[in-house]
Amino acid sequence: MTIDVSAYVDDRPDEGIFRVNRAIFTDEQVFEAEMARIFEGGWVFLGLEAQAPAPHDFFTTFAGRVPILVQRDGEGTFRAFVNSCPHKGARLAQTQAGNARLHVCPYHSWSFDSAGRSKAVKWQKAGCYSAAFDQQDHGLAAVPCFANYRGFLFGSLSADVPPLAEYLGEAAKLLDLVADQSEEGAELVPGQVTFTYQANWKLQLENCSDAYHFTSAHPSYIRVLERRQQETSGEVVASVWENSDYWKEETQGIGGGSYSFPNGHVLNWGVFGITPAIPLYESAAVLAERHGEGKRDWMFNMRNLTIFPNLQVAENASSQLRVIRPISPGLTEMRTWCIAPKGESDAARRQRIRQYEDFFNPTGMATPDDTVSYENCQIGFAGTVDPWLQGYARGMTASVEGGNRFSDRIGLNPARSVLADSQLCDETLYHAYYRAWAERMGDAA
Amino acid sequence: MTAPFTRAQAEDLLFREALMIDTRRYDAWLAMFTPDVEFWMPAWRSETETTTDPDRELSLIYYKGRRNLEDRVMRLTSGLSTASTPPPRVAHVVSNVLVTAADADMAQVSAVFTCHRFDVRMNRAECFFGRYEYTLRREGADWLIARKKITLLNDTIPTVVDITSI
Repeated sequence: MTIDVSAYVDDRPDEGIFRVNRAIFTDEQVFEAEMARIFEGGWVFLGLEAQAPAPHDFFTTFAGRVPILVQRDGEGTFRAFVNSCPHKGARLAQTQAGNARLHVCPYHSWSFDSAGRSKAVKWQKAGCYSAAFDQQDHGLAAVPCFANYRGFLFGSLSADVPPLAEYLGEAAKLLDLVADQSEEGAELVPGQVTFTYQANWKLQLENCSDAYHFTSAHPSYIRVLERRQQETSGEVVASVWENSDYWKEETQGIGGGSYSFPNGHVLNWGVFGITPAIPLYESAAVLAERHGEGKRDWMFNMRNLTIFPNLQVAENASSQLRVIRPISPGLTEMRTWCIAPKGESDAARRQRIRQYEDFFNPTGMATPDDTVSYENCQIGFAGTVDPWLQGYARGMTASVEGGNRFSDRIGLNPARSVLADSQLCDETLYHAYYRAWAERMGDAA
Repeated sequence: MTAPFTRAQAEDLLFREALMIDTRRYDAWLAMFTPDVEFWMPAWRSETETTTDPDRELSLIYYKGRRNLEDRVMRLTSGLSTASTPPPRVAHVVSNVLVTAADADMAQVSAVFTCHRFDVRMNRAECFFGRYEYTLRREGADWLIARKKITLLNDTIPTVVDITSI
């Protein structure tokens, strides 16, 4: 299948033009190609090491449409497999997570040990199998590439990919900012929240990086924050925004910006400062000692990170890990967790959880105003009178090659960067998404 | 000697609460809660278990204090929330009401619910269902809701679930 990427992404930097065609969000053939080339043809995030902490622990997920089993063996070694019995294809592990020395397929009882090896083909001797069958490997199909970056587990269903470290590149340092908040690493707070929305997966990709929408989509939430700020009651939770005004329209001066990296990874960020409203505050001194003030300050910055194509770590109102799972051009499933440094105090954990629920949950006061907007976009994408969207142009004259004095503080070398006041709201960081997209989709033969 | 809290009284209170939500009489709905109410909808930690400790584990909704519910109502009615405008039409059905414990001033009540929601914006109908566990407290002549725990059984959330749909 050949996709003419220029029909979807109009990228003419010399002329100051970057446009995306609405059809990129709706076309069935584009979606099929995205699954084949991006989600099932390259590195995707599978989960956190902390989701399967003990020997024989496992968790399940998806790479594109393919069900995946991530399993530790008895020695604790991780492997990733297609979660499908080689016999008839039935999904093998049925639960989100668990502990199994042995997986027995519920359909015909073929069994597999926790290293994915075949343990038994039921009644094999009586089965009158051919010699050819007996010589076959009846174990689980391993995911061709599987790698662990500091507890973040990635897999690729295609063997033809660069090493994970090369794929992540400099963006790996932004995962370090999550992993290094505790010497023990990060964990997921128990309680997973899954939601769907009737719109394309790339709307979630973009929204995470979108500073422009905050005061437009979330005024009702901002009003609640303002009301809470006026009272000192044990019944309300301090907002991480209470000492920060980078997002307020009247704010002057540099308050944040964006970085983009090869392969479609992006970060948008804002200065929060070291404030007790942030649960990490209790570790502020020790983190500065351990990692230096520059890196410590970055851990306290508002950061929305996308590791293309399906992982987002949002550290703004609280701390969220999201996995994007496209289901169809107009339907996306989001699996979301509160990610937290291991070993934080009870008070910090409680504060983090309370801040999380109100903002991030689909049952809270902010996320629904995003996802409903995605659905409004998806409806609007049917408009083809002028198919080219105009949402990729802010910051065009502010975007520069390389980093700046803020990225220098942690030795971070992005491909491009923008330094922004509160009203710039860079949109050029989306270019990194669509350039990576075009690169992956365009090598279709 | 005060008579124990009856199932008829419990049903009256629960049905009235549902009516206030369904007909968007939010001030009257808020007035049914004690100021220190615990309003809790746990998340699921696995296929079979919800979270149990709201301070260490995630909830879908957790509030201590009625003023937090007032925030939610303020947002719903502010006209500033895309997800809340126009409001969905909802109808709660509350059933299997049991008074599981009661004395003169406190009562524990369990029930099941379904909430049918028609999302006029997207022209789609959904149904949410689960269990309620209430702690009711006598305040003078009135019985107020001091704790409401909602166990949402179908927890894959289609875009949004607000306090009106549970």
